[in-house]
This record gives sequence, C-alpha cells and structure tokens, in this order.
Amino acid sequence: MSAWSLAWRTVTHNPARACLAIGGVAVIGALLFNMLLLSRGLLLSFRDLLDTAGYDVRVLANEGSPIHRVPLAGAPSLAEEIGRLPSVRRVALIRTDSAVAMPPGRDGDAVIVTLIGSTERQLGGAWDIVKGATLPDEVRPGEPVPLVVSTKLAARQRLEPGAPLRIRVNLGGGASVLPALDCRVVGIGTFTFESADDYSVATTMQGFAAARGAPKGEDEADLVLVASSPEAGPEAAGKAIAALRPDVRVYSNAQVVEQFNARAFSYFRQISTVLSTITLAFAFLLVATLLTMSVNQRLGEVAALRALGFPRRRIAANLLCESALLVGVGGLAALPLGGVLAIVLDRILRAMPGVPERLHFFVFEMDMVLLHAALLTATGILAALYPIWLAARLPIAATLRKEIVS
Amino acid sequence: MFRSLPARAALATVSLIVALVAAVAAASSSPAQLPEILLSRQLAEQAAVRPGDTVTIAAEADGAAARQFRVAGIYEPTPDPVRFTSRRIEARLHLPDLLAITATPGDPSSTESVRAINVKLADPAQADAFATAVTARFPGVISRLTARAQDGSDPFAVLERFHLAVAIVTVIGSTAFLLALMVMRAEERREIVGIVRLIGVSQRFVLLVVLAEGLLIAAAGAIFGVLVAKGAEDGVNRFFQWRYDTTLVFVRVTARIALQSIALAVPLGVLAGLVGSWTLLRRDIVSLVRR
Amino acid sequence: MSAPAPIVEGRDLTRVFPMPAGDVTALGHVSIRIEPGEHVAITGPSGCGKSTLLHLLGCVDQPTGGTLLFEGREVGALSESDRSRIRLTRIGFVFQRFFLLPMLTAWENIELPQAEAGATKSERRARTRELLEYVGLTERLDHRPSQLSGGEMQRVAIARALANRPPLLLADEPTGELDEATGEQIADLFDRVHADGTAIVVVTHNPVVAARAQRRLAMKSGSVVTG
Repeated sequence: MSAWSLAWRTVTHNPARACLAIGGVAVIGALLFNMLLLSRGLLLSFRDLLDTAGYDVRVLANEGSPIHRVPLAGAPSLAEEIGRLPSVRRVALIRTDSAVAMPPGRDGDAVIVTLIGSTERQLGGAWDIVKGATLPDEVRPGEPVPLVVSTKLAARQRLEPGAPLRIRVNLGGGASVLPALDCRVVGIGTFTFESADDYSVATTMQGFAAARGAPKGEDEADLVLVASSPEAGPEAAGKAIAALRPDVRVYSNAQVVEQFNARAFSYFRQISTVLSTITLAFAFLLVATLLTMSVNQRLGEVAALRALGFPRRRIAANLLCESALLVGVGGLAALPLGGVLAIVLDRILRAMPGVPERLHFFVFEMDMVLLHAALLTATGILAALYPIWLAARLPIAATLRKEIVS
Repeated sequence: MFRSLPARAALATVSLIVALVAAVAAASSSPAQLPEILLSRQLAEQAAVRPGDTVTIAAEADGAAARQFRVAGIYEPTPDPVRFTSRRIEARLHLPDLLAITATPGDPSSTESVRAINVKLADPAQADAFATAVTARFPGVISRLTARAQDGSDPFAVLERFHLAVAIVTVIGSTAFLLALMVMRAEERREIVGIVRLIGVSQRFVLLVVLAEGLLIAAAGAIFGVLVAKGAEDGVNRFFQWRYDTTLVFVRVTARIALQSIALAVPLGVLAGLVGSWTLLRRDIVSLVRR
Repeated sequence: MSAPAPIVEGRDLTRVFPMPAGDVTALGHVSIRIEPGEHVAITGPSGCGKSTLLHLLGCVDQPTGGTLLFEGREVGALSESDRSRIRLTRIGFVFQRFFLLPMLTAWENIELPQAEAGATKSERRARTRELLEYVGLTERLDHRPSQLSGGEMQRVAIARALANRPPLLLADEPTGELDEATGEQIADLFDRVHADGTAIVVVTHNPVVAARAQRRLAMKSGSVVTG
C-alpha cells in the first residue's frame, strides 16, 4: 500500500474531522487567493480601462500631476502638430469641469456633474451609447448644445434622448456667475471612468466652450489623448511627441499605470501582502496543530509500525501525504470559493467614492492560481515538519510501554 | 468648507515648492527682515534645510517672481489618511505671502482668490442648513461638510466594511478548524467519558464539565488573542509609519474592539467544544468504552 | 557438524532508564540465546524487565550495556535503517494491544508489511489469503478492527507478524486482553507457528501459554533467575 493510499485511508477514516479540516483550509485558502488577486487586480483593471478607450498615449501640461491637471494652452494647434506625426493615428482633446445639471423647471433635481468636452464624437470606450445618438459633428448656431448623459444621470433626472437640460459650469472666482446653458440630450451612455458617486455628461468642444462662456472656442485642453499607429506603438509615439514638444509631459498608458501603482494603489498592495502573510501563517499553524494532534492520538500505531519494521522515511512520507491531501483538496476547493468571495469583496470596495464603476479590485490571473498553489504546497510541507519529527523520533519501546499502561 | 479657485492657484498650493532653492542667498534683505515660512519635516530633510536658513520660493518652474523666506521652523504634517501614500513635501506661509507668489500679474482678483475657506460654526448641528444657504446665496461655490458622510460611502466606511468581510471569512475558517480539533479532542477522551459514565456519573454532569472546560479554554484563548493583537499593533504601526514616513496610526486595538473580539470568541469556542463533544454525549456507554 | 547459530543472542545485556528521581536499571547483566525453531516463554512479576528484554531482542530498543547479536550480526553497529529492515523481514512482533491500523481491513493490515518489504501484488495476494486461512479468518477479511472481537484482532495481528515469513516471532503478553478460552486459542495458534519452524519468544503471565513453551525463563528484578 503506497503512502498516498495509506494517507487517503487515514484521512477518510474520520470523515467529519477531514471535512472540517479541508473546509477550514478551503476558507483560509479562498482568503489567500483573494489577497493575491488584490495585489495586482487594481493594476490590471486600471490598465484595461485605459486601453479600452482606444488611446495609448496621454499628453499633459508640464505643471501639475495626472490628477491635478493644469490646462494645456494652444491645444488645437498642439493636436494638429501631434496628428501629423507618422507614429500617430488619432488625436483627441479632452476638457473637464465641474458643472450643475438641472432639468428645466425642476431646480430641485439639480446635481453636480462632471462635464466632459471632447473633439471626438464618441470617445471609443470612454463612453458607449446605449440609447439615442452620439454627439453630432457640428452644432448649428442657435441650436441647443448636444449632450450625452450617463445612464445614472438619466435615471436620476428621468431624462430621455431629446429631453432639455440646463448646464451651469462652476467656474473659479467667487464673483463670476455664468448663466446656465440650454442643452439637449441626444444620447444616453455608459461612461468608463464614471465613479459610484459621480455623474458624467459629455459634449462637443464647442458646447464645452459655450458652457464656460467662451463662444469663440476653447484654446485649452486638460488632456490630449493620442492613439499610436500599430506599426509604431505607444513608446515610439511618446518619444516622437516629447521630441516635438519638450514643453509638455507625455505618458504612455503603461507609465500612467505605473504612477498610480506607486501612489494610489500602494495601500491595497500593502494590505494584500500583510493579509496574505497572516493567512499563510494561520493556515500553517492550524494544519500543523491538526496533524500534531492526529499523530499524538496515533502514537501507539506509529510505534507499532516502527516495531514492525517500517522505516522513519516511510512514516514521514505517510504524514507528508496526509498534509498534502488536507491542504491539496482544501486548496482546490478554495479556488471556486475564492471566486465567489472576490465578487463580494470587489462589490464592497467599488463603493468607494471616486472609483470608476468599471474598475475592479480583484482580477483573475492564472499566475496567481499557480502562486496560490505553490504557497499552499509550501505551507503544507512546513506544517508537516513538526509532526514528522515527532513521529520519526519517538522512542518505540517507551511508546509501546506507555500505550499499554495507559 | 468652501471651494473657489483659479486653476493656477490650485496648482500652486499642490506644487508650491516648484523651484525651492535650499541655499543661504546673498540677499538684499537680512534674514531677520525676511518673511517667515514653515517647512514640513519631509521637505526639510529632502532639501537639507534647518530653522534659520533662507530659502527661495517660486510658483513657476523658471523661478520667475521668486521670493526669499526665512525658515522659522519645521513641522510634522498632520497625518492625512487620504494622502498617506504621498510624500508630504509642503510648506506653510502667511496667506498674503502665498498670494503674492501665486498672483497672476495684471489680474487684481488673483490676489484675492483662495482654494478653500474653512468655517467653524458656533452650532455644528446647523452645518447642513448653513451649507445649503451658502450654495443658494453664492452660485458657483461648492460647500462641503467636513463630517463623514453617514450613507456609508466615504472611503473609510468602505474600508471598514472590507475589513469586516475579511474578518468574517477568517472567523469562518478558524471555526472550521476549531471544530475539527474539538472533534479530535472528544475522540481522544471517548474512553474516559465512557468509564466515567459507567461508574454512574450523569450525562448532565459530563455536559457541564465540557461546557466549563470550553469556557475556560475559550476565555483564555480570547484574552491571549487580544494580547497578541495588542502586541502586534505596535509592530504594524511602526512598519507602516516607517514605510510611508508618516505619524498616522494604522491599527488601534481599543477596549471596544477587544471586548467585541472576546464576546465573539468565547461563545464560539464554547459552542465548538459542545458540538465536538456531541457525538460522545449522545452515544451509549458500551460503545464509548469498547475499543 | 557444528550447531546452527542462534537467531538472537544477548550477552551481558543491561538497560538503564534515566528518570528524574534517579536511574532505573530495568535489566541487569542478562545473557540469553534463542535457537532457531525454539519456543521460549519469559515469565515474572510486573516490572521485572520482561518486556524490556523482549524489546531488546526485537531490536526495538538499544541496550545500555552488553552486546546483542542477530543472526550473527552485532545490532549495535547497524544503522537504524538496517535495524528497521531486520524488524520488517526477520522478526514478527505481536503486541498486547494488537495495534492494528483501524482504517484498514484485516486483509489490508496483513498485506501492509509485505508491500513495505517489496513483495509483488500477486505474492501479497497469495500470502495474505494463506495467512487468513492459517488463522481461520477468511470470512472476516473485509472487516475492520472495530468489527472484530479481541481474539479475532489478535489472530489478525499474528498473521500480520508472520506476513514476511520471519524466523523469529516475539509476542508481548499476547493474551493479556483476552479471556481464558480465547487465550487458549491463541496458544494453539502459537503451537502451530512453532511446529512450522518459527522460533517464538513469548512474554506472558498466562500459565497456559507459558506451559506450551519448550523453555521457560523466570525473571525477577531485571535478572533471569531460572531457565
């Protein structure tokens, strides 16, 4: 009978104990799996979000930061220059500002929104139309400014395509008060970067300028989005733009992700590391205790086997296989359980204000499954060491005598 | 808190020290006549500046409109949980001095613009009404309460729920293990319980013994756990304070938390002991003593 | 023609157990020879060192003083691995408390040491069937120890001890937990084993079992007093 068979028979001889031990490993293993997913989940999800929009290079003013942006002056001519580069396929200008959106006659329903002005009619991936139409190419004079509102705002203010909406931008300077602008909802869409506590509204650059009281248009942009040509790629496009205009800052999506990783995501990485370590230590302690108690209950059997001629390595192999079974079966069960737990924890964390609704904290990665397996395996082996030492070193004759007397 | 801000001034407050020259300048003014500035500890360390030194501050990268200040002191920034991952490179100066640096030439209003006005009310209970009134009277001005939102949406409420979920999962996992250990323990004492029953001790008495033992072990374990947590508290705080160069307290084991933990652990331990012994208590005596 | 070498020979064996209250000499200067095919019973009051002597003869324990030879080899000079091998293939052990593995059936308990010794599947199958017939338990082969009586368990234990055809069988109080009638059955089994050529050394309080032996050694206070 092999060590595995004997271990299997030993474990299944006490089904209640085995189920409980395996259940414990499964739950702790699920938590470990989640913490491993958390360590890179935010990063992967954020990278996906950035890539979804279809642009892989971002150009910002030299001052400020990716979060607190200073507007780029001369944005239209900058966009033209960048657009002429061979490594660039497409360029879009983005402006954002805080505004108040009010359905006419229903001032009580006013909410603060993020107004997005763009030269792109549909910012491929940044917002997707679910009802109505996208922004028109041009707005004829006298026509209301076209808007695409988020599904959340539409639900909140009971808006449909064609509905009127008034927008008032919150400009700085306590004394300046702009009149509200009459707009029309042309479409309702889902916004990739909209967070749980935010409402997004998109309009044309022309419309944005009108909302800010600059009827001749905006010369500035908060952000220039660049899509590199497939042949060149984002790194080459970034270098070309930096060489063309050393007075701006150029980031590829990867660099933006790296910046966020170093700052904003740091807390979750640390939490992930701390909780993973605690979970592993916990699992080690519990499996080791379980196996040690199991060995202590079977000292007579172990001594008898040694007396019958079973060598130490065979006893050790049996115990190692027992540990492997408990941790292995539990570890396997941990994966689907971890998946369910990840959904629950992700839902909790995504309620955080400012977090885009499409951002996820837990993202499945095959590498994490392998890491999870490796960590549990190591834990199982380490946890078996003390009980193996106990069993291998026990004095046979004294143990037999003690068992008989007791 | 009110917010009304030109973008340029906003950036000045964030990246105030764009061009900080950590040198004693040959100034036209003597150090004693220069306006004063306080530097954060992190900035002082980075720039190797001490109290009494003269520094030059400018809001522009090219150093235009720079002014000299005397470092009056070094301060430890108030820990900000929202910004604990940021290195606190900042300084404090008198408002007129800041406005003088950040003002846009030719724009008189820029010398009167601030990012925020903090208001302390005589009656804090009126905060909501006050904020509404301000918004109504000053369109374009956003007023926000500093008290935490009660709808559970603020970041710390979210993190609290997250940690609670993790704690619940940990408790479930450890309960499973505890039950397994209790089942083993009960099996170990099967024969003893059988012998005791054989000599006439009642099942009720055995149950009481199991309960008492479970209570003792659970209480001792819970208290030990709280002591371990209290010990770990210092280690965790030291590590994260070192890691993020902050004085923020990350873990605090309060009396309430300790009592909650004990209140959860003790009944759980007693229950686990009872459940584990259930098989013994309901078996007949002969099967207990039979090998 | 020279006499065959003894299976096991102990010369001036001593075993001292260090205790907190002071060393205890369980065995003092005992010399013993067990010849091939011999049936020896060791008797004496509790605590006289009978089991200690048996453990030394079975290479389960190491003497504090003296020399132990098994089939001419000095046991003290062997590695633990070699001693294990001797116990597996050259010695069979029967315990007072049976020590059958509770999660295995009677068949599997008997098969286990054969598998460890490297026997093939067909060899194990044949030998296990043979042994179950030998001890009269063919109809209980699929039963676990919890489903067997005390006597049946001891018979399985004896079959297990004989699994690898050892020349020496050691039994420590084999009828200690059995009633008189069952003890007689076990004694009968030992007679059969002895008749088939296996040397037996049995430690016992049971006069019926002791009476079946060719030679009786009486021990007292760690020494052999008669035999």
